[in-house]
Amino acid sequence: MIIIDRLCYTSGLRYVNAMEKFVFSMLTLLLCVSSRSVTAAVLVLFVTGILTVGKGGIPLSRYIRLMSIPLVFLFLSTAAVLVNISRTPLDAFAIPFGSFYLTGSVKGILRGAQLILTALASVSCLYFLSLSTPLTDILGVLKKLHVPGLIIELMLLIYRYIFITLHTASAILTSQKSRLGNKNLRTARKAFAAMAGSLFILSVRRSCALYDAMEARCYNGRIQVLKEERPARYSEIFCIAGFEVFLFALIVVLKCKNSI
Amino acid sequence: MDEAILKAENVCYTYEGESSPALKGLSLTIRRGKRIACMGSNGSGKSTFFLCCNGILRPDCGTIYYNGIPLNYSKKGLLSLRSKVGIVFQDPDNQLFSASVAQEISFGPLNLGFSEAETRKKVQDIMDRLLITPFAHKPVHALSGGQKKLTAIADILVMEPELIIFDEPASALDPLHTDLVHDIIGKVTEQGITVLMATHDVNYAYEWADEILIFHEGRLLKGGSPDEIFSDDGLLRTASLKPPLILSILRNPDILNKKGKRCCPISSQ
Repeated sequence: MIIIDRLCYTSGLRYVNAMEKFVFSMLTLLLCVSSRSVTAAVLVLFVTGILTVGKGGIPLSRYIRLMSIPLVFLFLSTAAVLVNISRTPLDAFAIPFGSFYLTGSVKGILRGAQLILTALASVSCLYFLSLSTPLTDILGVLKKLHVPGLIIELMLLIYRYIFITLHTASAILTSQKSRLGNKNLRTARKAFAAMAGSLFILSVRRSCALYDAMEARCYNGRIQVLKEERPARYSEIFCIAGFEVFLFALIVVLKCKNSI
Repeated sequence: MDEAILKAENVCYTYEGESSPALKGLSLTIRRGKRIACMGSNGSGKSTFFLCCNGILRPDCGTIYYNGIPLNYSKKGLLSLRSKVGIVFQDPDNQLFSASVAQEISFGPLNLGFSEAETRKKVQDIMDRLLITPFAHKPVHALSGGQKKLTAIADILVMEPELIIFDEPASALDPLHTDLVHDIIGKVTEQGITVLMATHDVNYAYEWADEILIFHEGRLLKGGSPDEIFSDDGLLRTASLKPPLILSILRNPDILNKKGKRCCPISSQ
C-alpha cells in the first residue's frame, strides 16, 4: 500500500488529467468483467501493462510482484471451479478416491483459466489507476462525479491517517524492540497487545488534536480545499475512446461468433 | 502602538477529567505589534492559554478580551476571532490533514470565504515566500519534519491574521530549519503582525522578544523585557530557566577559560 503510494507520485502518467485515467480504468474494467472473454482479458492485461510499465515507468519486476499478490487468492478460489468430487470420472483428469473421483473437466479448466485471466486483467486496470494517480486526484474526480462530500472527506482523512497510524505503530515497535520487547513469543505477544492498546488511545488523542487544529482555521463542517486539475488533452481522449470502442466491438464480435 | 490586542483577566481552565486546573487565574496583556515570548516549564499552561486565545477552549472563569471586546463564543463570533488569531501547532502531524501541500494550505482561505482564484493566488504567494514550492507536489506524509513545519506555518500565514501564536515552532527541527523558521517569524513581525511564541530557547527569546511572559503553574509569574526577566535569578530558578549564554558570559567571563573542564554555562548564583 505504501509502495503503491510512493510509486504513483513518480509515475510518468501522474500529470495526465485524472478524469481521463479514471474513465479509462473503470470503462476497461467494466467491459473486461462483463465480457468474460479470454481474448479481451489478454488484450486488457497487455495494454494496461504497457501503459503502467512503459509509459508510467514503474519497474517491471515491481509490477510483476504487485500482480502476483492477487494471484494466490485467485488460484485458491478457482480451485473450487477446477476440481469436482464425483462418482464418474470427467474428461480432463481423475484421481480415484475410494468409490469417488477427484476429477475435473476440460471445460472446467478452461473456465478456471478464463476466470483467472479476467480477474487479473481487472486488477491490472485498478493497478493502472492507483499506480498513476495520487489519491487526492482520485478524490477530485469523485467530487466531479457528485459523490457525497461526506464520503470524500472521510476518504481524505482516512488516507492521511493511515500513514500517521502506521508511523506511530512503527515508532512504538522500534522502541519495544530496542528494549527486547519481542525476545520470545510470550513477551512479543504482550508487547503487541500493549502496542495495539496504546495505538488506539494515541489515535483518539490525535484525532482530537486534529479537530482542534481544524477548528482553529475556521472549520465549519465542510472540508473545502483547492482542486488540482490537469488539462485534458484531445489526443489522449481520442486514444482512450478509440481503445474502448475497439474493445467493445471485439467483445461483441466474439460473442456473436460464439453464439453462431 | 501600545494598545492591547489581547487581554486575559483571571482566566481559569480545568481539562475534563483532570483534578488540578491547567490555568489558575491567569491575567496578562498582549500589546499590538509586539514580539512576545511565553516561557515556563512543561505543563505551566502555555498551550492551554493559546487554545483559549483562539476560542477552542472556553475558560471556566475569567474573561479574554480581543481588541478590548470580550470574546463572543457564538458561531459567528468564533469564526471572526479565528480569522484574526492563528495558531501554528507544535506537532505538524496534528495540524496537517490533507495529503497534498497546496490543498492543505488552501483550507483556511477557502473557509474565510475567498474565491477559488483568489485562494489559488494566495496559496502560490505563500508557497513562494516560504520556499515551499520545490516540494509542493509531494504528498504531506512524504515530507521531512522541517518541510511539514513550513507547511504548517504557511497554513496560518496564508489567512493573514493579526495575531499569530507559535507553539514551540523550533522543536524537533534541525539548525537549518530552525534558522529558516526564525527568519520567517522575524519577517512576520516586520509586517506588524503580533507574534506570541512559546519557546524553551532562552538564547533566542533573549535576542528576539520585546517582552517575555513567564508562566508558572497556570499563572503569570512575571512579564517584562528580556533584560528584566533574565536579571531576576530568583524568578529564573522558580520557572526552572537558565539565563542566556551571552548573559552568563558577560557576568562571569571565567566560564570561557574553564572550557574543557566545563563547557556549559551554569546559572550564575
